[in-house]
Amino acid sequence: MDAISVPPDAIFISLAAVTLIAAILALQARELIYGAIALGISFIGIAGFFAFLDAPYLAMLQIAIYVGAVVVLILFTIMLVRREALDELQERPEGGEGAVGLWLAGLLAVAIAGVAALAAPQLPAEPPPANLPVANLGPVLATEYPVPLLILALLMSAALLGALILAKVER
Amino acid sequence: MVVFPPTTPDELVSLIVAIITSREFIRIICFPGFIHLTLVVIFLTWYERKLLARIQLRIGPLYAGGPGGILQPLADGVKLIFKEVMIPYKADKPLFIWIPLFLVFFAAVPFAVIPFGQNWVIANLDVGLVFVFAMTALFPSLILIFAWASNSKYPFLGGLRSLFQQVAYEIPMWISALSVAMLAGSLNLVDIVDAQSKIWFIVPAFLSFIVFFISIMAELERLPFDLPEAEPELVAGWFTESSGAIFMVIFMALYMKLYLMSALTTVLFLGGWWGPAFIPQPVWFIVKTLVVASFIIIPRGVYPRVRVDLLLRAGWTRLLIIALANVFLTAFLLTSGVLKPWGL
Repeated sequence: MDAISVPPDAIFISLAAVTLIAAILALQARELIYGAIALGISFIGIAGFFAFLDAPYLAMLQIAIYVGAVVVLILFTIMLVRREALDELQERPEGGEGAVGLWLAGLLAVAIAGVAALAAPQLPAEPPPANLPVANLGPVLATEYPVPLLILALLMSAALLGALILAKVER
Repeated sequence: MVVFPPTTPDELVSLIVAIITSREFIRIICFPGFIHLTLVVIFLTWYERKLLARIQLRIGPLYAGGPGGILQPLADGVKLIFKEVMIPYKADKPLFIWIPLFLVFFAAVPFAVIPFGQNWVIANLDVGLVFVFAMTALFPSLILIFAWASNSKYPFLGGLRSLFQQVAYEIPMWISALSVAMLAGSLNLVDIVDAQSKIWFIVPAFLSFIVFFISIMAELERLPFDLPEAEPELVAGWFTESSGAIFMVIFMALYMKLYLMSALTTVLFLGGWWGPAFIPQPVWFIVKTLVVASFIIIPRGVYPRVRVDLLLRAGWTRLLIIALANVFLTAFLLTSGVLKPWGL
């Protein structure tokens, strides 16, 4: 028996509706827990988009990392941080530190943009096929798109350093 | 002729008939799916009680029908269904009722990609391994939400402990499964079992088997890692407030997850359905899975509970390092050609 075919538009519209409505609910929820749940549903909707676009690997990682880890982090924050601590966080860092941070962030942005502009002509003209097997994902990234990969790595290390600085406690 | 969406009653009828008679539907309902899972879960609850009783020189369930009180789970089920469902005052009612159902759902869905035999799989997904991990990764947040919805302090403490523990042990679990994926060269669970026709992966990836087994013990909140439901301190952990039918549903989810993790161990390390051919493949698979489940259950009658800081330290600083080192070891084994005789 051949598979029952559903019109693609219907899938797309329902996925978009779920994602958008959940995202709005995440912002509107009065109880933070409900906001976190709605955010998780919204992430699952985005995973549905990836699956719809023939990228099941990305869809699964979207669920595993965003719903499995990011929502967990948000729940942690909601449950473990006291209200007063949240209010304290509203204070801005001192002027000097903030300015230096802005300068560094701007420098990083300019550097990344420059590298991207230089590398743009070297990118292959044809995008890889949509339903690329998972085993070929690494080789394609490393051989055909080395510069975007490097930029991503730079961004990740910047995020990691930022997390270390945020987590550092003055003893 | 099957059309979707149906417009006339005839088309609707033919659509429904097509769905019900399709091979996937029969599989979802009968063998690797619903009925089989329910029966195994019922069996496991009886089996655990009987096994623990034998370890402690007791007899265990005895009177409810058949040999060895095999009908005890049915009696329990009837009792729990007819018991009053008590929902705590000021609990979050919708979440309190719905989260247990989602727990069962996310424990049952991964069985769609678990191959019980060469052709006994509902969905032969290319990213099956990641699918199973993505579904089990949803458990900690659901558990914490349920604990919060109970609006009571013991469930909340248990939920937080469960979250700490499961998040900490998820990562070694994924990384130890990674070396299996490297050996098989695929994330497809059918391919992974196919690659074990000559040698079970427990031999070339023994270290990751150890890491994986310890991690699933922690994921399943089994002794010696059952801190989230430590009875002397937390009553019953994150499901303290659940009663009656809600408790039964949570119990089902926990045993289904136990069966799922045992099945995953069988797929990744114990050669899945492979075995002498005179016994059908699904039987081999289920027997191996139940043996793994026994090894997960037995420590409950044997070992004491570990301390929470030791548990987290072991997860983050020991298991993670061993799992990462094992990835490099596996890469070395693969490139050096030691495993060539077994076609890897």
